[in-house]
Amino acid sequence: MSTLMAAAPGAPVVELDLAELRDDPYPAYAQLRRTAPLAWVPSVGRHLLTRYEDIVHAEKLPEVFSSREEGSLLLRTVGPNLLREDDPQHRRLRAAAEPPTRPRQVRDLWAGTFERNAHELLDRIAGRGEGDLIGDFAEPLAAANLAVVLGLRNASADDVSDWSRSMMAANGNYADDPDTWLRAEQATRAIEDAVAEMAEAARREPDGSVISSMVHATDPVELTEIQNNIKVIIGGGVNEPRDVFGVGAQALLRRPDVRDRVVADPGLWKRVFEETARWISPIGMYPRQLTQDYEIAGVALPAGSRVALVIASGNRDESVFERADEFDIDRPHRPHLAFGGGPHFCMGAWVARHEVSALAWPLVFSRLKGLRLVEGADDRMEGWVFRGLTSLNVTWQA
Amino acid sequence: MPIVIFELPDGTQRKVTADSGTVLMQAAVSNGVDGIVAECGGNASCATCHIYVDERHGERVGPPNDVEDEMLDFTAAERRPTSRLSCQVQVSDALDGLVVHIPEEQV
Repeated sequence: MSTLMAAAPGAPVVELDLAELRDDPYPAYAQLRRTAPLAWVPSVGRHLLTRYEDIVHAEKLPEVFSSREEGSLLLRTVGPNLLREDDPQHRRLRAAAEPPTRPRQVRDLWAGTFERNAHELLDRIAGRGEGDLIGDFAEPLAAANLAVVLGLRNASADDVSDWSRSMMAANGNYADDPDTWLRAEQATRAIEDAVAEMAEAARREPDGSVISSMVHATDPVELTEIQNNIKVIIGGGVNEPRDVFGVGAQALLRRPDVRDRVVADPGLWKRVFEETARWISPIGMYPRQLTQDYEIAGVALPAGSRVALVIASGNRDESVFERADEFDIDRPHRPHLAFGGGPHFCMGAWVARHEVSALAWPLVFSRLKGLRLVEGADDRMEGWVFRGLTSLNVTWQA
Repeated sequence: MPIVIFELPDGTQRKVTADSGTVLMQAAVSNGVDGIVAECGGNASCATCHIYVDERHGERVGPPNDVEDEMLDFTAAERRPTSRLSCQVQVSDALDGLVVHIPEEQV
């Protein structure tokens, strides 16, 4: 099936400026939901699908809305991987990689190390009285935890963080900048070497990690497949927990009444997590390609059409979430779309829930006394494919 | 084809014809039964298709499998001895007339 790089006949065409989307995509999404819930956006090169019900519908039809998007920059960066495969190939890789990320494994195998990692990072900054909770804490924590779950004992948190940034830059390298490609190639080669070494070690001695689980999978997985899938997990596995941490922490620091309630009743951290992921979803959209002609949101799309499921928009759909633009941990529980749906449901969901809502937030808010935002700090919220804070400058009593 | 009854938290009942060879979650979702979310589409990764099998029918359905058993510790509503994930319950003629209860919360 060849890809159609243009608007489907009958699809409304809406011009959106990518710089404006990066700055704040939500007003544009609200407009699309009202007037053109499926629209071809030339600057994105895809049809954007923006209403909650339509997105859920598409997610439940993976045989129509295929993950095998041709010409994807992710494929160029990391090679074939489970994110861009359909079942049964996707299922084979997912079954091999998933067991270490399941909730009981997270609790029994990884939680202790996650907690030590968080304390070590806080020990380093606690005496300073000021810092950037993204650069000094959330990013190195997410990277260190990811290295543990993946089984990359031969990589530092800084390595994982640098690799992730280099690959993420390449995934969005629509400008075809050669230096960006070069840095991504250096990162992916370094990951291949690190994975090959740890796969060999895990073959001799299983350690419960993702690499080990893939090495010992019932349905065999090649080394190249292990390497490519570890690359894709490193690509997303740092920024997503980092961003949900940052956005949620800032939201609470702006609402002392909510913060006080949550600190007094730690059971509420779960609500903070799910509401943060809904309100500003770390992943805003992901691409699909139609395997057959299919009508959705009133538009008949031909086979080969490219569609972006804009989950950030679905999560602000007023027909599902009242006052959807507000951060409100007390809203009625409705399933949000931040983890995606169907067979590609986020593999890291249980890891992220634990490391952020059971450990990172409670430890930061209890150890750093008098925590507050630095007034006038240039902490920007940025991105639309991925969205989060570039920094979070705070002070506390040292 | 077997008929399965989903009882909602408010006591309303939905009678649904389920296809043998599919799973209970599928029967609920394709008939628009409220309260079965099934975010992951039936892969036992999300714990949002939780049901309580009616106590009179427990033996017909049987216990959860290992992967499901783990996930049931992390459901939004409390786990009970009759808890199952509906995506892991195979539909067969033996389930005709089965009653299952949908919990208050899935997320």
